[in-house]
Amino acid sequence: MAQVTAVTSSPASSTVRSGYWPHIFQRMHLLNYLILIVGAGAMLFPFLWMFSTSFKPRAEIMVFPPTLLPATFTWQNYANVFDKLDITQLYINTGYVTIVKTSLMIYSAALLGYVFGKFRFWGQDFIFYAVLFTMIIPFEVYVIPLYQMMVFAKIGDTYSALILPHMLSAYAIFLFRQFMFTIPNELIDAARIDSAGEWYLFHRIILPLCGPVLATTVSFYFMWNWNDFLWPLIVITSSKRAMLPVALATFVEQHGTDFGMVMAGATLAVIPVILIFIGLQRYVVQGIALTGLK
Amino acid sequence: MSSTLSQAGKSIRTGRPHFTGSHSHLPQRRMALTVVVPAILYYLILRYYPVGQTLFLSFTNATLLAPDYQFVGLHNFVTIFSEPVFLKVLWNTTYYAFITTALTTGLALGIAFLFDPIRRGVGLLRLIYYLPTITSAIAIATIWLWFYQPRFGLFNQILALFGTPPIAWLNSLAWAMPSLIFMSVWGGVGFSALIFIAGLQGIPSSLVEAALIDGASERQIAWHIKLPLLSRVITFVFVTSIIGSFQVFQQVYLMTRGGPLNSTRVLALEIYEDAFQHLKIGQAASIACVLFLIVGVLTIVQLRLQRSDWEL
Repeated sequence: MAQVTAVTSSPASSTVRSGYWPHIFQRMHLLNYLILIVGAGAMLFPFLWMFSTSFKPRAEIMVFPPTLLPATFTWQNYANVFDKLDITQLYINTGYVTIVKTSLMIYSAALLGYVFGKFRFWGQDFIFYAVLFTMIIPFEVYVIPLYQMMVFAKIGDTYSALILPHMLSAYAIFLFRQFMFTIPNELIDAARIDSAGEWYLFHRIILPLCGPVLATTVSFYFMWNWNDFLWPLIVITSSKRAMLPVALATFVEQHGTDFGMVMAGATLAVIPVILIFIGLQRYVVQGIALTGLK
Repeated sequence: MSSTLSQAGKSIRTGRPHFTGSHSHLPQRRMALTVVVPAILYYLILRYYPVGQTLFLSFTNATLLAPDYQFVGLHNFVTIFSEPVFLKVLWNTTYYAFITTALTTGLALGIAFLFDPIRRGVGLLRLIYYLPTITSAIAIATIWLWFYQPRFGLFNQILALFGTPPIAWLNSLAWAMPSLIFMSVWGGVGFSALIFIAGLQGIPSSLVEAALIDGASERQIAWHIKLPLLSRVITFVFVTSIIGSFQVFQQVYLMTRGGPLNSTRVLALEIYEDAFQHLKIGQAASIACVLFLIVGVLTIVQLRLQRSDWEL
């Protein structure tokens, strides 16, 4: 509150708004818009550039000064990508692993969040903090023994190895537990009096109430799982089980000078996530608010 | 994210549920047991055990393929800290983390304050700023690799317009690290800005209105009221971002592989290459321990800062 009194004690600055236009200018925050739009341009430009280049023929890419939009439009780069990379297979692989991982993480997080948030049992706080603590452990810290475990269990180079270490997520559990506090206990008690079984109660009453936090976590985890890089890089060795980001990295390394083609590849990798993101945009933004505050 | 540790404690104290009614608690106990026990086992086996194993490995000369190993005591730690390359790696990582975070946080704060008073078109603008965060690092690296390309790259073409000689960017000892940092700031600023925007929206309007009535200008309100009230969020974003940056891997792996001459080599890349390319997992584990120590210290700093911070 000290700051507030500091402001009030200072002589009330009569902001001189002389003239009509500067006044309007200030009221509509045109300067804010101007700067933000320039910034948005800088944010968007690399993506537009990637998109535009992916449709340029080879000769045009090297032209100086570069053209903003393709002068001659071609699908050739995409044809080349499909020729060299089994994009359909990569989509299927990555999509499958992403969907399985995301569903397992979200369902288990909802369940654990509910139990940690609404139940009381021995050692509850200790267990919850022990789970939460894993959030701060960098993946690089336990990746080596994790890899050895996968090899030991003879599931190296399988989807199980990709999914197993990422079935539970402490962060998602935390988000769900926070959300459970907003569900009134009376509701749960009423359902119990109506002799609803505990699992029935969770699936039919609690889970349907979790809409917002479900959407937030699904969109987050879909993005993270789709873009996951280090673990697939280490675990998956056969090309038929390759994940899209790793395959694309190898592809870029091999054909880095064929700019049109690598841009087409990058575009193909980005499209699914951008579509999901646009669809669930509102929830992603809510989710970020949850990250920092509350 | 680690600040959530301290915040979770708060809600435990306030939001403790009570079961009323006289019906049996047995089904609940059974459900809690079926849910929590597998989770405990999961975290013991797939998190706590491997972390302990890393600590164990760091005292051995184990390799990835051979099953035999010997205890070597602190040998690995002595080795890495006597290697000039590792000290360089430590410095690179610290430099990258602090500069990237300082630039990202500062820029994000500016963007958030520009966003704060406006209402129309916020959704679309916010979406655009957030776009790099959701995109896979490899797609971003692909684009920026081309921007930085020495001969045909966009940046050198722009420089050529002004008659400036080209810069080798990622191949240059002086420019490789700044180039990576620049790209990371571009990629990370939207995420931090969104947290700040949410923080600004959370400031009680009564405070702002009171200041307005007292004749404070919009700038004074931003500087003397909103910024101090945001300090908690700023601390949070700053420290989490440093923690995240200390673990940087993908950008470096994809753009420079630590080159030229180790000028962009970072801890995570060193762990990966030592373990999975040179197969020296004992030594890699000791580096992992150093990384964990750094992240742990930063997390403690964060928890302290958040606790001592004043609240409204």
